[in-house]
Amino acid sequence: MSQETWAEERPPEDFYRILGPEGELQRDVPELADDELLGLYRTFVATRVLEEKMLNMQRSGEVSLVAQTLGEEATPLGGAAALQPDDWMFYTYRQTPALLHWDQSMAEIIASATGHEPETIAEQLEMGDSPMNFSPDYTPIGVNVTNAVGSAMADAFNDRETVTMVFTGDGSTSEGSFHDGMNFAGVFDVPAVIVCQNNQWAISEPSQRQTASETIAQKANAYGVPSERVDGNDIFAVYEKAREAVERARTGGGATFIECVTYRMGAHNTSDNPDRYRDDSEQRDYWKDRDPVDRFETYLRSEGILDDETDKAIHDEIDERVADAVEQVRSMSNSEPDRMFDHILHGESWHQRHQREELQRELNGKNPFIDFTGEGFDE
Amino acid sequence: MSSIQDRVADVNTDNTEEMNLVSAVNRTLHQELARDSSIRVLGYDIGPLGGVYRATEGLLDEFGNKRVIDTPLSENGIVGTAAGMAMRGERPVPEIEFMGFFYPAFGQFMYAVAKMYKRTGGEIEMPMTIRMPYGGGVKALEYHQESTESYFVHTPGVRVVCPSTPSQTKGLLAASIRSDDPVIFLEPKKIYRGMTEPVPTDEYTLSLNEARIVREGSDVTLLTWGAMVRHAKSAVADVDADVEIIDLCSLSPLDVESILESVSKTGRCVILHEARRTLGLGAELSALINEYALDALKAPIKRATGYDVHFPGHDIEDDYLPDDDRARYAIEAVMSYEF
Ligand SMILES: Cc1ncc(C[n+]2csc(CCOP(=O)(O)OP(=O)(O)O)c2C)c(N)n1
Repeated sequence: MSQETWAEERPPEDFYRILGPEGELQRDVPELADDELLGLYRTFVATRVLEEKMLNMQRSGEVSLVAQTLGEEATPLGGAAALQPDDWMFYTYRQTPALLHWDQSMAEIIASATGHEPETIAEQLEMGDSPMNFSPDYTPIGVNVTNAVGSAMADAFNDRETVTMVFTGDGSTSEGSFHDGMNFAGVFDVPAVIVCQNNQWAISEPSQRQTASETIAQKANAYGVPSERVDGNDIFAVYEKAREAVERARTGGGATFIECVTYRMGAHNTSDNPDRYRDDSEQRDYWKDRDPVDRFETYLRSEGILDDETDKAIHDEIDERVADAVEQVRSMSNSEPDRMFDHILHGESWHQRHQREELQRELNGKNPFIDFTGEGFDE
Repeated sequence: MSSIQDRVADVNTDNTEEMNLVSAVNRTLHQELARDSSIRVLGYDIGPLGGVYRATEGLLDEFGNKRVIDTPLSENGIVGTAAGMAMRGERPVPEIEFMGFFYPAFGQFMYAVAKMYKRTGGEIEMPMTIRMPYGGGVKALEYHQESTESYFVHTPGVRVVCPSTPSQTKGLLAASIRSDDPVIFLEPKKIYRGMTEPVPTDEYTLSLNEARIVREGSDVTLLTWGAMVRHAKSAVADVDADVEIIDLCSLSPLDVESILESVSKTGRCVILHEARRTLGLGAELSALINEYALDALKAPIKRATGYDVHFPGHDIEDDYLPDDDRARYAIEAVMSYEF
């Protein structure tokens, strides 16, 4: 193991905040009814229970790889809550709360990690009926920013009032696609909200190695896109700034970039071991004290919106939903090998027909290579 | 079987160390960094983490952060700045985390890396070795399983090299780093840790222009490389034919002489690769043999390959990837053919 690890730096905290680290209010809270507040809390709980279950499934080999949102939940949740039905959301692998908030089915979320062909998942799972338009999640990073801005351009050119929100990581702001997307967003004044979930780490690279700019928010200046910098562990702050940005986008005011400052509490994903590269404990304690879920729970309890009984009911309900979802996914059968040929192009080509047949023969224990004329497989 | 000793007369094989393929990469980087101060390794996650596959483990501790450079998360930035360093007399060794994430760097690759030597009439050399793990079979996410070496092979001005054993890795990587040409160095990650063998501890290089004869035979020539070499070896154990296996090692330029010589001797050829079939390297190999060794052929050439599809989800990736069986079927098919 390396003797060197990264000394962590704390980002400046001159950001917008409503709910303090102890769950105390520093400004007025945004207008949300009690049941909406409880809804947000339920999503927080659901995320933690679901992701914990998925980690267990990874350990038992049922899924290959899992990334967690742990400690960052307020950013995707606050952002997502600011959207309206029919809006669009482009996301990556660390926005589970945003999906759950808009009723993406848990089974679908789990299935995205099981390595089934998309056709298999679509056919064998009851798909959720979300009022939100979700892009498929993105593995290559940065790419979604440009696509999201294009989605917003399409709305702008068609005079639609739809808004597109995109989530990206701090590391991803180093990719060309991020800068291309931001530039187009500024030039075409598009109805997009670009959210950077700045959790300080891109696998092993700390954000001070990612950029020499003091904040990520200030990158937006270069593109003529207004920006905000908020406490990403404060659900109210993220929600309020996202809501303002969504409103501006919807009413023709153009794009906004929001940097949400948060922290990756755990590993990058289940194949990562952060002990190898980060000197840890002090920072972790610091961020643990600012945990978004604890903070929100303290607030809800102090306002009398949440009590032990409601909390237990929420946990019971979530446990049941997660267990159901896992059952659904476990009952899926493997993809038919043939499925790999689906949805390559519309219509079927010679190669496709031929290679499908080859695969079939191979699976039947027959020689797939005996066609010497291109006319078929007469033996 | 031609061993390291056969091919490089002056390798001292008195001292060897048992290692796997990824430790051979690591050891070579150590030796090369120590040998030549103009070599710099750059990429993200390569420092304290030691690379997601640990290929660069320990390098930062030993050589410091001017020689082992953790970069921002930008493949285009990594390859583009490496090109700039190479133009100024350095020998950068950039790492791309996965072959499937090379695409953001394709502009720099085409515009600068591959073209500079030509566009300056030979004035400016681009000695850089871009390392990247490639290939499937590791049950990973999309774009972590790519085998798109054809994009690189189709580009003039770069060498494309791919080892299949630890000792070969050491010699070929050292030769690539010392080469005055840009090299795309493909590391078959499926076999990073699959096998170990004794590797000479001294420095040595292997020729970048020579294929390796893995096994001599008289009935069929089997052309392959990288992670597929092991399937070739187990397939021939089960067939009723004397198969000559050639590990190409260098995918660009190809060792055409060795390929034609072998096919002229055997009269039959099977190509085994995990890349998609259409315009995969097998297409070129087949065309070459057709153009220059047609008279020797006793059967059409067959390609045992991946299919023309996106790399599938991991529940069916084994159905996509060629294996011993697919290789064996192809050998049996060409053996069964009669003109
Ligand atoms: C184009 C591309 N390059 C590299 C990778 C490998 N990779 C996956 S996630 C990641 C780090 C991303 O960091 P960040 O954007 O900060 O998001 P976070 O994981 O912290 O949420 C890397 C390097 C990738 N998926 N896509």
